[in-house]
Amino acid sequence: MIFNQKNQYKNLILITKQTIDSYIEKIPPSPKVLQQTLTLLNAGELVKAANVAKEDLALNAYLKDMVNKPIYGFRNEVSDISQIFGILGVAKSQQAVYNYMITLLSPSKWKLFQLNKSSFSNLQADLSANWQKILKYLDIQDKDIESSVALLPASIIVSEALFNEKIEDVNLLRSVNPIDLNTILKRLCKMDLFDICEQIATKWEMDASISKIIQAASGVKPSDNEEINRLGKWMHLLLFFTLSQPNYINAGLNDFIDFQVDYVDDIYSNFSELMEIS
Amino acid sequence: MRAVIKNGIGVFSPQGFLDGNNSTAFLSIDDIEATSRLNTDMILVSLKKVIFFNRNGLDTFVKMFLKVRTKTQATVGFCDYDEKKFEAIMKFYKNNLNFSLFKSQEIAGLFANSFNNQNKNVLLYSNDKSQRTAMAIELHDNGHNPIIAQTQDEFDDKSQSDNAYDVIINYTHLGQMGQNITARVTGNAIIYTISSFLDAEIGNTFNIAYHNNSLNVGFRLFIFDAYKVISMNVHALNFFSKLASSAAEYNATICFVGLTFEKTPIAFKETLEDSGIMFFEQMDDILQNKDLLNELGASSATAIHNSRPLNKVMVTELPNFINAAVATIEMMTNSKAVKEAAQINEIKIDHKENKIASSIGFYGDMDGMVILIFPIGIAKKACELLIGENTDDMELILDTLAELVNIVGGKLKTLLLDQKINVDITLPRTYPNVDSLLEITEFKKGVQVDLAFDDDKFLFFLTR
Repeated sequence: MIFNQKNQYKNLILITKQTIDSYIEKIPPSPKVLQQTLTLLNAGELVKAANVAKEDLALNAYLKDMVNKPIYGFRNEVSDISQIFGILGVAKSQQAVYNYMITLLSPSKWKLFQLNKSSFSNLQADLSANWQKILKYLDIQDKDIESSVALLPASIIVSEALFNEKIEDVNLLRSVNPIDLNTILKRLCKMDLFDICEQIATKWEMDASISKIIQAASGVKPSDNEEINRLGKWMHLLLFFTLSQPNYINAGLNDFIDFQVDYVDDIYSNFSELMEIS
Repeated sequence: MRAVIKNGIGVFSPQGFLDGNNSTAFLSIDDIEATSRLNTDMILVSLKKVIFFNRNGLDTFVKMFLKVRTKTQATVGFCDYDEKKFEAIMKFYKNNLNFSLFKSQEIAGLFANSFNNQNKNVLLYSNDKSQRTAMAIELHDNGHNPIIAQTQDEFDDKSQSDNAYDVIINYTHLGQMGQNITARVTGNAIIYTISSFLDAEIGNTFNIAYHNNSLNVGFRLFIFDAYKVISMNVHALNFFSKLASSAAEYNATICFVGLTFEKTPIAFKETLEDSGIMFFEQMDDILQNKDLLNELGASSATAIHNSRPLNKVMVTELPNFINAAVATIEMMTNSKAVKEAAQINEIKIDHKENKIASSIGFYGDMDGMVILIFPIGIAKKACELLIGENTDDMELILDTLAELVNIVGGKLKTLLLDQKINVDITLPRTYPNVDSLLEITEFKKGVQVDLAFDDDKFLFFLTR
């Protein structure tokens, strides 16, 4: 009778370690043009880097769109890539190229979050510009630390990739228990969103310090290194400052990971002063 | 943003910064509408993960509070804050504080109706004397033992004593409390507290879903604590008469305790008695009289032979019922769940020791109850995703098992809707041992399915 019927339902398991491994395996290596551009930027060769970067038309279009966003505050439109690198300087140019690399992972159509190409790039720009502001306030000049913020939105892309087919299950789960996506992943697979971001960084040969700051910025894995931990706190708070903007709340990003209020408690007054929060 | 509902309390948990620019993104008009349709005792906004808020940010939620209160009479307010946030809210709304403030969700829970939350020793302090008294009265009405500290020094002194109190309350403010009729559970009887003038409004303030759920999960004695009732009118009379008729279908008994007829026509008493409602002067007349409790069906539900057979529709949809349970377990454990054996009979549980259970009722196009029975260790494993840590806290395990069966209910609802069968689910109920479950299910026929994940076996039982 009924028990002889075939189970007509698809795979009901939420997410497994194999799902994550398969996702990581599918991440392509960073394109050669980008590798060369980054190497030249590292060497301070802005002009040569711009010449290489010109070969990648999508990168050109991305950089042009990015630097002309209001948050960068340029009065006139900047369109030439040499000009863009020249204005941004080595550190910000490297950050911009990393931002572009992260967009290569983003889906063509978002399902879990209400985002699109433009709103995701706005999010990157918001984070990048305010991270610059923070580093200036902290008097830190380090191109890898400046670039680290580019990896932060990768956690959103990874969430989208892993959970987009399971929206209904996730919603059902979260209707009875306010559990965040990072915790779901950690409890099910012993690996969280930020571990996956670290693997992306490793695959793309990003500087090790970038991964360490991102791990600390998760808010749940403080670093033993005091300086990295301090940067992690600022980045964690910056993330939630950004995700408290109405458009990102509407996109469903406000609670994809847990905000650790206690973790950022000791830097909050400086942050609110810098961001003029009253 | 939608509220997460647990034990009759709906909680919103915004994160980050809360100001006039983003508060409507956190809470849209649709969200407010949906919240005002919820059947909850309390609607709270947790400020635990809010690092900054201003008056404009809170105002959107306060407007929602007003709408919810007007529509459902639920208790509304903010919770999970520190002293600084408490002082800020008190300052923002000093002349118009018509919502409540609970320092934590645990404290809020003491002021709500709950199956699990009774008889707590509570130390409380507020620098407002009327608040101290109001809190003590509410706590007492909800079945707790409040101890009031009269001064800050006394509070500081007493709160140092280790393990002397289950809960310590400060930085809490009661606004308008819920006018829903509070319910508490004593053994297998449910006691509703009613007060003041009873009129047509009782149809809104009485939580009929909770009552129906209680009937569905096997409660058979309902006592209305009516000491504080001044009078009732014909609309309330009709309401109680109808309630008695529906209770009769379940062979349940409804009693009134302490109701006086100085301002209520004595003819009402006769009408209610004709409907089957019984009257007692003192609560102890019932609760201390074991023979009477037996007779009324409250000492054990085993005396009640209210079993209804499974019907054809339910049998046809049985794969959906099983799949709802299987899908949930697979989602929660990341492992494949398998059906091992099935039989239609009265529930049969081998080795009753160290097993716990959870049930959820459903009603609408079809009605019945799904029960899951686990060995404690397996229940912990099944709930690992929600618990997150190894715990022996039985209350937490049972609470989480209720969440699990709630997800089963949600999945069931979706699966049945695909077949165009519309059902609503009741609140989940948990059983700390097999005996308490058997009080409800013994003599009921149903489908019993042995299920397993990772070779860990558990039982699924579907009955009516």
